[in-house]
Amino acid sequence: MSSEQDQLKETNTEERFAFKKDESAAVKSDKGLTEEVVRLISEDKGEPDWMLERRLRALEHWNEMPMPTDWPGQPDLTELDVEEIVPYIRPDVDKREGADSWDDLPEDIQDTFEKLGIPEAERKALSGVGAQYESEVVYQNMQEQWEEKGVVFCNMDEAVREHEDLVKEHFMTSCVPPSDNKFAALHGAVWSGGSFVYVPEDVTVEMPVQAYFRMNSEGMGQFEHTLIIAEEGSEVHYIEGCSAPKYGSHNLHSGGVEVFVGEDAHVQYSTVQNWSKNTFNLNTKRAIVEKGGRMEWVSGSMGSKATMLYPCTILKGRNASANNITIAFAGEGQNIDTGAKVYHNAPHTKSTIESKSISKDGGRTNYRGLVHISEGAEHSSTSVECDALMFDNESTSDTMPYMEIDESKVDVAHEATVGKIGDEDVFYLQSRGLDDDDAKQMIVSGFIEPITEELPIEYAVELNRLIELEMEGSLG
Amino acid sequence: MTATQVHETISEETVREISDELGEPDWLLDTRLDALAALDELEMPDVIRTPGRDWTNLDGLDYESFVDPLNAAEEKDQLGPEEAEVLPLSEAVEEREDLLKEHFGSVIDPQENYLTALSTALFSTGTLVYVPKNVDAEDVTIRTTQHSQSLFNYTLVVTEQSSSVTILERQDTGESVEGDRYYSGLVEVAAGENSHVQYGSLQDLDEETYNYTLKRGDADDYATVNWVEGNVGSRLTKSSVETELNGEGSETKTVGAFFGHDDQHFDIAARVWHNTAHTTADLVTRGVLDDDARSVYEGVQDVGRDAWDTNSYQRENTLMLSDESEADASPKLIINNHDTEASHSATVGQIDEEDMFYMTSRGLDDESARNMLVEGFFVPVLEEVEVEELREDLETRVRERLHE
Repeated sequence: MSSEQDQLKETNTEERFAFKKDESAAVKSDKGLTEEVVRLISEDKGEPDWMLERRLRALEHWNEMPMPTDWPGQPDLTELDVEEIVPYIRPDVDKREGADSWDDLPEDIQDTFEKLGIPEAERKALSGVGAQYESEVVYQNMQEQWEEKGVVFCNMDEAVREHEDLVKEHFMTSCVPPSDNKFAALHGAVWSGGSFVYVPEDVTVEMPVQAYFRMNSEGMGQFEHTLIIAEEGSEVHYIEGCSAPKYGSHNLHSGGVEVFVGEDAHVQYSTVQNWSKNTFNLNTKRAIVEKGGRMEWVSGSMGSKATMLYPCTILKGRNASANNITIAFAGEGQNIDTGAKVYHNAPHTKSTIESKSISKDGGRTNYRGLVHISEGAEHSSTSVECDALMFDNESTSDTMPYMEIDESKVDVAHEATVGKIGDEDVFYLQSRGLDDDDAKQMIVSGFIEPITEELPIEYAVELNRLIELEMEGSLG
Repeated sequence: MTATQVHETISEETVREISDELGEPDWLLDTRLDALAALDELEMPDVIRTPGRDWTNLDGLDYESFVDPLNAAEEKDQLGPEEAEVLPLSEAVEEREDLLKEHFGSVIDPQENYLTALSTALFSTGTLVYVPKNVDAEDVTIRTTQHSQSLFNYTLVVTEQSSSVTILERQDTGESVEGDRYYSGLVEVAAGENSHVQYGSLQDLDEETYNYTLKRGDADDYATVNWVEGNVGSRLTKSSVETELNGEGSETKTVGAFFGHDDQHFDIAARVWHNTAHTTADLVTRGVLDDDARSVYEGVQDVGRDAWDTNSYQRENTLMLSDESEADASPKLIINNHDTEASHSATVGQIDEEDMFYMTSRGLDDESARNMLVEGFFVPVLEEVEVEELREDLETRVRERLHE
């Protein structure tokens, strides 16, 4: 094990994730979702009129659309009461534009992020770190070398002001319109914060760009928006991590992610989410990939009470490709409904989906996926692989793939397996001197290796640590 | 939604007339009338739905135009060896009322959906197959040729302990009629302890016919229910072949084959419920699509909480011969018991170009090469068909279709 891993392992992950801060807000909206709340958010951010109009249109969609209720095996959303959620909290930070340096942040927020290991990660020469606290990005830093090449990495609210043309063109227009689904509509109405990444033509951002989202207040909703525009021939890897402490009432996270992958560009989007177990995590993430472009989604879904997340890729141009790697871990009382969607809309497009799930103590995992191959998308190929590992008889694991194939010159394959943790494997490891828990832990680590090897080392370590804690049942 | 447009002859009088014609006891008439009364409330059978899309539009069917229950006409062979009882329903209601009463509607709820209720209310023809304890019955043949606009057919198979039976069913259409037709068939199999049922079916209706078929088996301890399901004909078929493994150590195997051309639409399901320990299932389906044909396949392996030590496998492969065809598939695993070995796989593809090249370089023309490769594609499922007659029937229909 490298010294980096040792160092990170020493951090007490349980403490890092379970602590919470007294809330100190400068502006806090009322509960529920009304036109007044939407106007308050827009006004507080000093937004241009067009953005307020988009928010109000999204609100109309929200009011018109029914809740998703009848998908087969869908997580139960009846306990989610949007009228009880506070959509907007701006923390009391002196500098509205986000602090220029770490030291300018209020001590309690600094402390929060110290515990999450954010500055620590930055010290390891990561290119940029954005940290979102409640509804605002309070701290960002981008190494000058990228700025010189024209790379933009800023918070989304700032992007509306500073990069208005780009945002106006791409924000919830062609990629994730608010009419897409109930929660995209909600997101469009009350979105706040998030990241804006712009990579100019032929620029490669060699280090991953990172953002960390954390909900701290009880009963709040977090609706960060991430917009990534990678121009022709560019390359970028964006990583987000999410967490929230556990409270008595339910939190709602409904993020929106839009990725534009230009011709021959390459974007990787990695997520490790560990929301507390009363959080409803209902997101819409989508990428549009032009000719020869490549989109990679890497997702680890650990926390939350219920997650519905199916990153979607539209392969629009010839030779475009998408890879999805997802891992879901559901413990007691959790329902993780996740998967991937890919639309092959051009010839010679390729996609792979690799899904792993682990369920224990009555947890419920579901792979839900849709692969669509349009007529004319000849010589396209897709391969879907799902593996589920179950620990006990109270847990449930479902696989619900859907394949719509309109074109004959294709190669479509789906495979899934389910199994319990192998008694023989456990016995073998025990006979080598490991106790039962360690043996199982080792098997799980091996099981999820395809995910962890796609992540930068500290995220891989974090994911492993989180699973370790889940396995011990010690994370609240 | 509820389908409201029903033919004016779908009435209590019609139901009483059909029931009277068959000489039915009151309880069966009541079951029919209850199903009729429920029509207003019932939904169409489940079809695969993804946001924004129903994969098969059953609500779009105009039942009024093709349901004509009082003019049902068919030609039927109901044959079996002496050891088993193979009875037309009109005889079964007299001679085996006890069996009917015990099993009718016990495997398929008559009010499960709109189409099962319609079928229950209006069936005018049917067969009871009864196999007593320790009897081995081969070659039971049920062959139905539909001559009328609509036909509602009901089949009940009851096997006693340690018996076995092989049943071959075939549906086709005879005399032509004006407009669209409708064929509806319900098949219930109650497989007793340690019995072995093999039920093979070939659907070869003409391409003006809409077809709804639901076959379901209930397997007792150590029983085996095997299905062979061949679909070649019809304009639109919604067919489901299902087994509930309710008995310890019970098993099922489903072998399916379909071949669609022109603008045929096949909505095919293979489902199994593992409800007890030590149960095994194997679902294998292969289909070929040409022209504008479309297939929707749904496979479900549902492993219940008490189904310890389960083995469950599913494979589905579709071969597409034209760019206008569409092949949809959704193989689902629902696992509630971790002591399970389960897998499924599905593929969709075209004829392998290298195979084509190899065949044509051996002197075959393109069409002959293609036909051989299509026939070859079906071989792995046909090999699983243990009944020679059915296998040959299927092979013949595949070959005929290729040369049409």
